[in-house]
Amino acid sequence: MPTWKEKLAGRMDPQIAEEVDVFETQIALRKAGKMDEKVFAETRLRRGCYGQRYDNGHRHDGVRTQQLEFPSDLTKGPETFWDAPGMQRIKIPFGGLNPDQLDTLAELAEEYSDGILHVTTRQDFQLHYVHIEDTPNIMRRLAAVGITTREACGNSVRNVTACPIAGVCRSESFDVTPYAKAAAKFMLGHPDAQGFGRKFKIAFSGCREEACGLTSLHDVGCIAATRSENGNEKRGFEVYVGGGLGAVPQQAKLMNDFVAEDELLPLIQSIGRVFARLGEKKNRAAARLKFLITKLGLDEFRRLVDEERKILPADSRWSSYIPDVARYQESPKHGPTHLNGQQRPEGFEKWHLTNVYRQRQEGYAAAAITLPLGDLTAAQARQVANLARRFTGDNLRTTVEQNILLRWVSEADLPDLYRELGRAGLGEPGAGTILDVVACPGTDTCKLGIASSRGLAGEIRSRLSERLFALDESVRNLHIKISGCFNSCGQHHIADLGFYGTSRTIANRKIPHFQVVLGGKWQDNAGAYGLAIGTVPSKRVPDVIDSITARYVRERKGTETFQAFIKRIGKQECRAMIEPFMEVPAYEKDRSIYSDWGDPREFTIGDMGVGECAGEVISVSQFDLADAERLVFDAQLQLEHENYTQADSLAYRAMTQAAMALVKTQFIDVGDNADVIVAEFRSRFFDTGLLGDRYAGNKFAEYLFRRHDSPPQEHTIDQAHRIIEEAQLFIEATYACHDSLAERGARGMVVAPVHSGKAAGKL
Amino acid sequence: MELHRLGVKFFASDPASIHLEDLIPVFHGWIQRQVIPGHVLIDVHDYSHIQNGPGILLVAHEGNFSLDMSDGRPGLFYYRKTPTALPATEHIAAIVKSAVQACALLEKDAKVAIKMDEGLVIANDRLEAPNDEATLAELKPAVAAALQQVFPGAAFNLSRANSDPKERLAITVQRV
Repeated sequence: MPTWKEKLAGRMDPQIAEEVDVFETQIALRKAGKMDEKVFAETRLRRGCYGQRYDNGHRHDGVRTQQLEFPSDLTKGPETFWDAPGMQRIKIPFGGLNPDQLDTLAELAEEYSDGILHVTTRQDFQLHYVHIEDTPNIMRRLAAVGITTREACGNSVRNVTACPIAGVCRSESFDVTPYAKAAAKFMLGHPDAQGFGRKFKIAFSGCREEACGLTSLHDVGCIAATRSENGNEKRGFEVYVGGGLGAVPQQAKLMNDFVAEDELLPLIQSIGRVFARLGEKKNRAAARLKFLITKLGLDEFRRLVDEERKILPADSRWSSYIPDVARYQESPKHGPTHLNGQQRPEGFEKWHLTNVYRQRQEGYAAAAITLPLGDLTAAQARQVANLARRFTGDNLRTTVEQNILLRWVSEADLPDLYRELGRAGLGEPGAGTILDVVACPGTDTCKLGIASSRGLAGEIRSRLSERLFALDESVRNLHIKISGCFNSCGQHHIADLGFYGTSRTIANRKIPHFQVVLGGKWQDNAGAYGLAIGTVPSKRVPDVIDSITARYVRERKGTETFQAFIKRIGKQECRAMIEPFMEVPAYEKDRSIYSDWGDPREFTIGDMGVGECAGEVISVSQFDLADAERLVFDAQLQLEHENYTQADSLAYRAMTQAAMALVKTQFIDVGDNADVIVAEFRSRFFDTGLLGDRYAGNKFAEYLFRRHDSPPQEHTIDQAHRIIEEAQLFIEATYACHDSLAERGARGMVVAPVHSGKAAGKL
Repeated sequence: MELHRLGVKFFASDPASIHLEDLIPVFHGWIQRQVIPGHVLIDVHDYSHIQNGPGILLVAHEGNFSLDMSDGRPGLFYYRKTPTALPATEHIAAIVKSAVQACALLEKDAKVAIKMDEGLVIANDRLEAPNDEATLAELKPAVAAALQQVFPGAAFNLSRANSDPKERLAITVQRV
């Protein structure tokens, strides 16, 4: 029997085939103990092989932390067991794929994963529960249909994304598809993109106003633009740089208002070179391009990029694709028609209202397939591939809203397409509405997840699905986005109603919570980021949504948008709206709130109990932490009133207050002098590593130190926004540290004596 | 044939009585007690939001168990992912035994009754076992012998479930 390598020989790009062979050898070397685990970890990440929850062998089963007895002790990275199943991310540049590729993805999901294909918020696919030994054959089978997993993860150029309606959009300047494709190909494995300290994301959009490209949240965002020169229309791009979500979100800044099409690739290359040379390498928390631009200033960054451009060795690939741009076109299966007298099946009108986009090309439509939580089965994927063959030709796109778009559907075919989608269980309406909740994997599979984003999203979907069309239209078209933690993979900052997972400890029991984030803007390519207004228990979030949306409907003025409504009523009122839902009933009264959606395990770690001495100190600290939360909220109010100096000052005070809360667990007489608090905090919690959890490290403490040591020279909206985000994260970290100390104390471990002396207690 | 990726499904007696969400705590309980011999039970995944999907999935290092809803026919599905170092017939028998054990546990812990007179054996490897008559002819004797090991004395009819070359080779098993 031939192997996949033998069977697919000649059908794979030779370079990719060789790379996969090398990776297979690296797997063998690691198994033989001849490759360092850290080196292997980065190697596999650059091939898209990611770790999953519980791959460290520890799992709390609701009663105790259980050691998962994997067959071998071999690791595929620090604290990552070899035998633990992982995730395989698969890059789909600009989300474009054809039916044969989708068929292959379906086969891989069945044979190596759990039968499910998951579409991500960056137009990738993910397979979960994959064994590392199977990944070379997965990669070969993908390569045979023109897909690579190279640089799907790791410190590299990630999937290049683009509007899924590029080329059929009614408001775009021109089709960005061939440019996105060229950028993805050019930067894949490019030598200038191998020395990054962090990932690098590129997005393309055909216009400024819509949301589809989300360019504002990317390291490099390219928006199509045209200019008239000597009577001829010249194509180019507005280029934005330094955007990003993550823990500390930043809007991308306009770097160049018109980059001619033949200068686009060298510009991206130049940006990459500056980033590789000057970007942070050691501290991952400050290693994204946005931090480099903040540090240098946009003008200096632009100057460095311009200088780099001047010395770049010429490369024919910069412009060799451009003659093909004019020839780029997609061939529809059927000619243009109109929806006239066709019999329309039951449910069609609602589906048509939310899921069908009338293309720029007369007689054609793009139809969105709503994928609940971004998931579809292998069987459904094959059915979608067949429907694409039957109705559209080769035209499929994944979307950042975790759906699939069928383009170039002749309009008269829409009823038949809807019937077939219904048979496949894919005919649900609601694409792009409040029902179409976006969620990252969260605690389902992600190692960093704190709360169940998918569980919550599923609950919201099930509550809203029956009454979607009974909702006021202004509510129906809102966006909900949920992340399992502050890292924002669910893009909660740009939702109308955003949520990110966190936890709180009350009476020594942990309760899953979500921060409520309001004020984000989906339109204008993610034009504004929302801010957190407070935490509510996970089980209260659906009620919070009902309450906020009901008030919006009641008090909306004319055509006021949700974002404008939130701005008008102000943060204080927003906070007041969620306060009734913040209360946590006693465990004995309502145990349901002490577990997460779709997970019956109690949201606790071990059998907790707190000694009397530590308990007293913790009570004082909790009070201080609550005060810190209040201060950061006050900072938001000042930001809202454009008092940036006050906002900065309050956010800084919030951080020192939270630091003081922790210091008091060891040194109760620390006082309120900021210099003393910061010094004591540094020696007791930063230098000792006590603050950092295993994933975040001490990065959040650096926010405090930076602000303490270098107060801002000028106060701007961006600076105030950033310091508030940082303060919020710092407070979250102090909460986590505080809980960890309490648990250790409860287990009888030495935490630290409470004393009035000044010597720092090293732990 | 080096076929270690193999799945076995037994169908529920009363599909209407199944409430998928009820399975979540049951599977968590199985992890707590690590009740399936030879398996490191890792996690539970809720796919109940997908029509005709894997339903509720219990992930183990060696294979996945699920209260599967494929084709609209609920049942206990077990997919083996790792080799066992056993000869082909014994390997298949081990997979069937694991599925039978899970069925018994399901009936005991979740009151979900599973019929043992009809099943499906799926060769989950398109390279080793393409969906054609030749592969069926090769695989059928091993499956029949394995069933004899697990259900001594019972007789079964084995037939190819579908002929679509894109689908995996699946063998319908009917007790006679």
